[in-house]
Amino acid sequence: MMDCSEIRDQFLSGELPPEERVKEHLAGCPQCRALFERDAELGRSLAAQVSQTLPFSEDFFAQIDKTLEQETGPRAWLRSRPSGLRFALVLLPLLLLLLAGGVLWQRADFEHYPLLRVLLLLCAYGVAIMLAFGKELSESPRHAPLRDYLGLLAFALFVPALAAFAPATEASLHTPSGGVSGAFGCFAYGALFTLPIAALLWAFDRNDRPSLRTACLSAAALGLSANLLLELHCSKGGPEHVLLGHASLGLVWLAAWIVTSRVSRGP
Amino acid sequence: MAAYIAGDKAAFRELFRRYTPLLQRAMARDLRSAEEANDLVQQTFLHLHRSRLDFEPGRKLKPWIFTIALNLKREHFRRSKRRRETSLEDDRVGEPFEGPRGQERSDASREMTRALLTLPAEHREVIELHWFGGLSFPEVAEAVGSTVSAVKVRAHRGYVALRARLGDAAPDPESRDEGKPSVAESK
Repeated sequence: MMDCSEIRDQFLSGELPPEERVKEHLAGCPQCRALFERDAELGRSLAAQVSQTLPFSEDFFAQIDKTLEQETGPRAWLRSRPSGLRFALVLLPLLLLLLAGGVLWQRADFEHYPLLRVLLLLCAYGVAIMLAFGKELSESPRHAPLRDYLGLLAFALFVPALAAFAPATEASLHTPSGGVSGAFGCFAYGALFTLPIAALLWAFDRNDRPSLRTACLSAAALGLSANLLLELHCSKGGPEHVLLGHASLGLVWLAAWIVTSRVSRGP
Repeated sequence: MAAYIAGDKAAFRELFRRYTPLLQRAMARDLRSAEEANDLVQQTFLHLHRSRLDFEPGRKLKPWIFTIALNLKREHFRRSKRRRETSLEDDRVGEPFEGPRGQERSDASREMTRALLTLPAEHREVIELHWFGGLSFPEVAEAVGSTVSAVKVRAHRGYVALRARLGDAAPDPESRDEGKPSVAESK
């Protein structure tokens, strides 16, 4: 004889077969019987809803077919690539830029820069960047709550800002603070080198209008990428220089993405 | 789906024929017009097309399509800043749009729609996917990214709340069933 949990499992699945065993159990179990009688009533009401079909336009398929026919060109090709490939295609230029930045345009005090600090920065920024890109470009079945990507955005905005007030390294004590005027050069450097990655992210986005999720994750990834590039390039450590020239990049990318979302057409 | 990925247009037509009514029913509960529901269905197929190379052979298609549809619907509500709970005060809610081919909804059906709209989103979502989207509970779990037990518990709570809202004042038998584990606990 079936027990109550088996019976209720079937009740919850909505697929109860009229089996003799079920009937036998219900005959001897008033609790389950009450549950099923009430479910039958509820089921009839829900089934009545299901039987109501919606107005169905004959042109509907033609509309969708026409929309799909317009999916041509480089952006349509890029955004339809598998998520793993899109992820790799975004990370590749970033890695090349980081390598080039670390070798060709490395900071003046690079040789004296504490290795542990470089490694710590690379790890923390690297993990956050991978998470942001991964979340943005994946086809995740689980719809992450807003806090999941706001956390990454907060990290991207606040950690570079905190760096402005981090204890000076032995190396940075011997370099000028940079000031506000030097901040513009750093800002332009960071923005210029993350621009191709931003263009790729835009091209890969499968929404016609970037969502809030996309805006947060893109700003997080781009802000962190720019700050990582600048960390390898700029030795100036004055708070006003770091805040204006480095940390502001995440905020500017966020604003750029929100503007893109507003001006983009589409649902 | 494999034929569609390979470029067979007839396969897409078949997907459309098979899933459009299910998607429309699942979308229509809390949208105000057939146009809005159809627009989201259209967006779902557009996203399906853009994501088609992400589809793994052997995977079930129905939960995957509904995952796309659910995400689009959530984004739609976020954009329009219209939450179903708050929109209940609007007279039009509960009768989103005209019934099929001029049919009028019965009072009972209207009551059911209204009662559904009062449920918390996470309870209503699984009931709608199951009853209107035609997904089994394992498929619902896959679509919402949760476990089968969790969606069953959500559905059960939704049923209890629905019964209460529809005027069934009888207490839940489980509440009288002292000493026995509840359905939620038995999972």
